[in-house]
Amino acid sequence: MATILKADNLEKVYRVGKVDVPALRGVSLAAQEGEFVAVMGPSGCGKSTMLHLLGGLLTPTKGRILIDGEDMTAASDAKRTDIRRRKIGFVFQRFNLFPTLTAEGNLRLAERIHGNGADDPGHRREILRLLRLEDKMHHKPLELSGGEQQRVALARAVVNRPAIVLADEPTGNLDSENSELVLKMFRELNNRFNQTIIMITHNPEAAAACQRIIQMRDGHIVN
Amino acid sequence: MDSLVVSNIRQRPLRSAISILGVALGVALVMLFTGLAHGMSDDLQKRSSNVRAEIIFTRPGSLQLTSSSANLNTRYVELLQKIEGVESATPVIRYFYPSGSFGVDQVEGVEWDGFSKMNNLRLVRGHAPNSPDEIVIDETKAARNHPVGSTLKVFGDKLYRVAGIYAPESGARAKMTLAALQDALEAPQKCTFIYVKVKNPDEQVAVAKRIDQAFPGNKIQFTREVFASIESSIPGLNIFLRVLVLLAAIVSALVIMLAMHTTITERTREIGILKAMGASRGYIISEIEREALLISFLGLIVGFALAAIAGFGIHKATGLIFSFGGWWALTAALIGLLGGALGAFYPAARAANLDPVNALAYE
Repeated sequence: MATILKADNLEKVYRVGKVDVPALRGVSLAAQEGEFVAVMGPSGCGKSTMLHLLGGLLTPTKGRILIDGEDMTAASDAKRTDIRRRKIGFVFQRFNLFPTLTAEGNLRLAERIHGNGADDPGHRREILRLLRLEDKMHHKPLELSGGEQQRVALARAVVNRPAIVLADEPTGNLDSENSELVLKMFRELNNRFNQTIIMITHNPEAAAACQRIIQMRDGHIVN
Repeated sequence: MDSLVVSNIRQRPLRSAISILGVALGVALVMLFTGLAHGMSDDLQKRSSNVRAEIIFTRPGSLQLTSSSANLNTRYVELLQKIEGVESATPVIRYFYPSGSFGVDQVEGVEWDGFSKMNNLRLVRGHAPNSPDEIVIDETKAARNHPVGSTLKVFGDKLYRVAGIYAPESGARAKMTLAALQDALEAPQKCTFIYVKVKNPDEQVAVAKRIDQAFPGNKIQFTREVFASIESSIPGLNIFLRVLVLLAAIVSALVIMLAMHTTITERTREIGILKAMGASRGYIISEIEREALLISFLGLIVGFALAAIAGFGIHKATGLIFSFGGWWALTAALIGLLGGALGAFYPAARAANLDPVNALAYE
């Protein structure tokens, strides 16, 4: 399997007033195509910072990130945005759906941003059907449960077939039943479509569903 | 339509409506002011073009745009008729008086038979003024609820009876007998100017020269030059209109800028989501500009409707005439759209440059 993600010696220092706060202190990792990886650790250990760096939302103070062979760190903001658009899908703890759009509308927006001219209702419906949302296509987020909203968010993240899905505590705002359903969807995407997923989680049960667990502490990978 | 732009506008109906009205106000102001200037100008030119006389004979300084004096002796009428090339001459007093409609209005004192024959006027209803308290009015004035037999306060407290209605419109909308206006102004045997009709219009310049030679020290004008547009008669009117257009554009831009700034502040997290989804700066700017342009476009339509309704209402209430031209409508449209686009640009650029991580964390 090809290496789809590679991070070398990542460091990230935040400047807070006159104080430098190191969030990452030299993190290296790699993910193979089709891997489902969990990242665990206490609050403040740098998990989210690492995820944001991998997604190109932040630039590292030091280090290098390769996404499917493309160097994020040397890229301009416009180039990083372009790589993110083509190769990365995000799922957030707070769902982050557009409240004024329906479920299908959120997916169509992702397709429009992707900019390949695709307007594929069939593909959207297939994704929504896979995530058991086919009868929720025309519902707005306020009309959906938490679990349904997160599944719509997951659908939006994968509609453009990205190389990697980065998920930041996707079950953090869900009850156990919905958490299990969402994790099941993640596993299905991983198994059926060989989707590479890197997921931050505090939930040991969620982590147990993954093929590999990375433990972090104080800005380092410890295990 | 499941569109982010449309749904964002619908999500805040009151704010969207206020923004649309702000743009509409700028558009309506441009349309109303330019419409009024052109309407009055077109009306003046239409009435002026129905004056058949080629020459106006008057005293220097006695005839201005909104004032006049009766200081020309009417004996010149007979003398002018003897000039070679002159077909006929008729005296006119033009009197301006304060009026509620437009600040000032005018009435003419004429010898109806000679005046109507010279200018091809006909009475469509009633009869010519025979007594000092009778006037005739044109059809436009009559349409404002002044039928034959009704009374009008022309100037002062005296009521005049509408004896007849004439067509086409020519000069002042109300005319009384020359003698009646001479009495009212205590100017016996005086007039403001004398219309001179020449036998051959091609020889009007030559006739004017003869008149000038015969009666030096007076003012001789050609009607084709005197009755120019209001724009050329009022210095600075064009500048005023252009400044007005600029102010309207600024109003539209400021309204949109404020609306977009508030909208973007409220939707900071959504902008962060767009960035996380890979939306480029250009995409974010274009989405915000599209929203602003849609608001501006709706403001345009409302503005045109407002101008049409207000123009109709003002015309009905005051008699002021509006003429809405295509060129100014296009200008107003461009102002509305460009003002909106420019007003949204700064908030859009700021949104595009937001830090995505901070934007995602925004509450």
